[in-house]
Amino acid sequence: MTELDSANRSWTLISAETETWRLASDGKKCVKNQTSVLMAAESTAAPKLQFSPFFSALEAGFWHQLTQKKLNDYHLDESPKNIKGYYYNGDPDGLPTRLTLEFSAFDADGPTPARCCPAPGTLYNTNTLEAFKTTDKKALLDKAADEIWSAIQSGAALDDSSILNKFILLTFADLKKYHFYYWFCFPALCFLEGVQLVQEPRSLEKSFSDTQISSLTAAYDSLCSSSGTTALPHFLMKYTDDSVEVAPLKDLNAFFPDLKKIAVCVYDPCTLPQHPGWPLRNLLFLIAKTWGSQLDVLEVLCFRDRTLQGSRSVRHSIIFRVKLPDLSVSAVCPKSVGWEKNPKGAMGPRSVNLSECMDPKRLAESSVDLNLKLMRWRLVPSLDLDKVVSTKCLLLGAGTLGCNVARTLMGWGVRHITFVDNAKISYSNPVRQPLYEFEDCLSGGKAKALAAVDRLQKIFPGVNAEGHNMSIPMPGHPVSFSESTTAQARHDVEQLEKLISEHDVVFLLMDTRESRWLPTVIAASQRKLIVNAALGFDTFVVMRHGLKKAKEPQSEESSPMSASSSSSCSSTPASTVTPGASLFSNIPGHRLGCYFCNDVVAPGDSTRDRTLDQQCTVSRPGLAMIAGALAVELMVSVLQHPEGGYAVASSSDDRMNEPPTSLGLVPHQIRGFLARFDNVLPASLAFDKCTACSQVVLENYEREGFQFLAKVFNSSHSFLEDLTGLTLLHQETQAAEIWDMSDDDSI
Amino acid sequence: MMAGERSPASCYLDERTFRLCCRLFLQHSETIQDGWSWEQIKGTDEGFMKKTVLLPVKSSVLHKQHGCFMQAENMDLLTDDIQANVEDETAGVQAVCEIHAVLRYEYHVLYSCSYQIPVLYFRASTLDGNPLSLEEVWSNVHPNYRQRLQQGPWDTLTQQEHPLLGQPFFMLHPCRTEEFMKPALDLAQAENKRVNYIVSWLSVVGPVVGLDVPLSYCTEVSAPD
Repeated sequence: MTELDSANRSWTLISAETETWRLASDGKKCVKNQTSVLMAAESTAAPKLQFSPFFSALEAGFWHQLTQKKLNDYHLDESPKNIKGYYYNGDPDGLPTRLTLEFSAFDADGPTPARCCPAPGTLYNTNTLEAFKTTDKKALLDKAADEIWSAIQSGAALDDSSILNKFILLTFADLKKYHFYYWFCFPALCFLEGVQLVQEPRSLEKSFSDTQISSLTAAYDSLCSSSGTTALPHFLMKYTDDSVEVAPLKDLNAFFPDLKKIAVCVYDPCTLPQHPGWPLRNLLFLIAKTWGSQLDVLEVLCFRDRTLQGSRSVRHSIIFRVKLPDLSVSAVCPKSVGWEKNPKGAMGPRSVNLSECMDPKRLAESSVDLNLKLMRWRLVPSLDLDKVVSTKCLLLGAGTLGCNVARTLMGWGVRHITFVDNAKISYSNPVRQPLYEFEDCLSGGKAKALAAVDRLQKIFPGVNAEGHNMSIPMPGHPVSFSESTTAQARHDVEQLEKLISEHDVVFLLMDTRESRWLPTVIAASQRKLIVNAALGFDTFVVMRHGLKKAKEPQSEESSPMSASSSSSCSSTPASTVTPGASLFSNIPGHRLGCYFCNDVVAPGDSTRDRTLDQQCTVSRPGLAMIAGALAVELMVSVLQHPEGGYAVASSSDDRMNEPPTSLGLVPHQIRGFLARFDNVLPASLAFDKCTACSQVVLENYEREGFQFLAKVFNSSHSFLEDLTGLTLLHQETQAAEIWDMSDDDSI
Repeated sequence: MMAGERSPASCYLDERTFRLCCRLFLQHSETIQDGWSWEQIKGTDEGFMKKTVLLPVKSSVLHKQHGCFMQAENMDLLTDDIQANVEDETAGVQAVCEIHAVLRYEYHVLYSCSYQIPVLYFRASTLDGNPLSLEEVWSNVHPNYRQRLQQGPWDTLTQQEHPLLGQPFFMLHPCRTEEFMKPALDLAQAENKRVNYIVSWLSVVGPVVGLDVPLSYCTEVSAPD
């Protein structure tokens, strides 16, 4: 009953916060009730001394060092290892009684930090979690307790009292996941009946005069320096009204000629005003075993020595008197305790997950994130990085442009990157396409879409990359040779539709004009942002396609759009353009053109009529890097605009104006001329007769689906031109030209 | 920052002077006992100046993702498995139970040979060694400094491997040290005062990452001869 009492009495010290915590842990409610009942019963019992247990405190460096030891030194060796911890008696109030292990813990003979006491420990590092679980904890504790007991019995503990602070650490290091399981034990020999308090703990300043306190400090310092150390775990004290003497523990008999009343001092890491820390426990046992029969009352000084803002004080040390049970005749090792509770207050191990700071892949991720955050913190505080990082990007084409776009996306921390390409890597590619190497070209070459994914993962394991080795059906490239080619084309279309719907931004990075038609139509229909990059020899265009307004409200918004865009081609739409501004300024995103809007011919087989050298896209090598990087930067700027793809297009004229986003302008197009090292920022309207994004094309696609697309693939370009009215436009233009010419002739 | 840009009123420090400055700094730390120590890397002549600061916090700060409550379910299973093996010793412990949430900040002052100036490395963790993210570190920096950290030369916080320990640390990148050291050193020169480089430097960079440098360092620590 006594033991239970004292244990439960301890719960009275728990703060309100702890109560909640205890209630949160499963099935503890009843314990609390029980506690309050027992507390009431307790109040009449004789006061017993209670100790503040050690909290294990591990520096991150300890886990790093354990990992190194396990990998380079221990391997599968499970034998116990000597390690070293330390504790400190100079903490400010409010800090827990700690035993600290640093990276230097494995250097058992190494130095201890100044004014700290060393504690020798034994590390049991198991190879498996199972072994960690099944290790006989009681046997480990008994073994350590036995060592302490033997040292007390033999008198060895008097000469070197550090054995009294021995600890055990049981660990399992899961180095695949960087999870560490651990359980500390601070063995303490138990008095069965507890230790009876004769005089309650008081602070030293209430018991000692100023003279006594300064005399004690001076005596302690001089004993430290004569012992060649900066901290003494245990020592003896005797005092008169105006002086204090101290002596090493082993001098007990000489120091106290009369053992009736002695004062023993312990270096005390606890900061509680009513309780000593753990190290006192085994010291009391040593005293009780060695001199118990001769002692009447023992005075205990828990020596606390702190320096705050340069001024040192030991006044908050506590002093009290106890009556020790006589143990001098007992020969068997007493019961011992000491396994540390886990954070839930239960007897159980602790664990720590250090993958964040030890797993190289996680380190790469956090470093990449941090670098981007720093860009925000330092330069662009309003930058919305999450918008960028979480954007899912579909890259159609994994050639020179695709490789450069992917690398720039990774630089921005974009995690989700999908490649579509049907080509294999050839010998000429690696020098221009930075995701490929010579090896990738061997034995026919790897599929670009798949090799690109492999390389992205090598560059940054945190990337979520996917590759699709597939073709994109094109207008004027018939798919109707056989049922299987039609089926294949149908499958490719479905796959592309699915991919576009699963992504936020579609990059058009192919090497032909007509391959861009199908994704332009699908993305326009799905209202997905397209960023398009195309190269000439020394010129490029990077543009965002206009983003059609959302489909739902069929009423006001969609019809005026098509009406005004049709009128804009024939006459100036004065109502939408401010006076003095040009026709092409302030175009909102939904009225911007696509890649095909400026064409007056439908896309067809552009390679058929070309000679071999024309079929190969030859451009200045720097061009793809410039255009690829600009394509990504354009996307990022669009994403930073509150209206995203609907943002009004910035033009070259806006260069002097207040930029619309934290990153600056949001142009419609960037056209670059490498020969002049010059870029311009044109903007153009959607064309109502566009062969890709005009309403009639989208309506046909949305109504007939693959049937319509197959007609486009299989027919000559006149099909789309007839459909959109381009044919008619051609005829009208030709007629006008004829009239113009005849006018000229007439003059 | 190339060697060619070096100004004659030097912001640079050779390693010997660094060590001497540290030694004087540590001497004063010893007298006021504020916890600085020199950590020698075993088997080398390399080392660094180190200080650990413990900070009690509201435990709710740690509950989010950190500390002991990770993979709670697994640990419960593990605990159940194990508990049979160890008697619940609460009864015999005669112990007072407290619950603590404590953050540990480690500050390391290293010499950078490439920049020829001191560099401040730091990290923060819970008592089980679980590191805090930079956001969590910042949430504990005084708001006045937090704002400063985002401006001027303070925006150079980055994550790096500790050159001597090989573990990830945060660091204040040295590339802009000159911006604030030069005016300080010029002023001292003009007033014909000799200042301890480490004291001047650390009293500027320390506070922004929560490290206090008592005023007495400025008055008590001299420059090496």
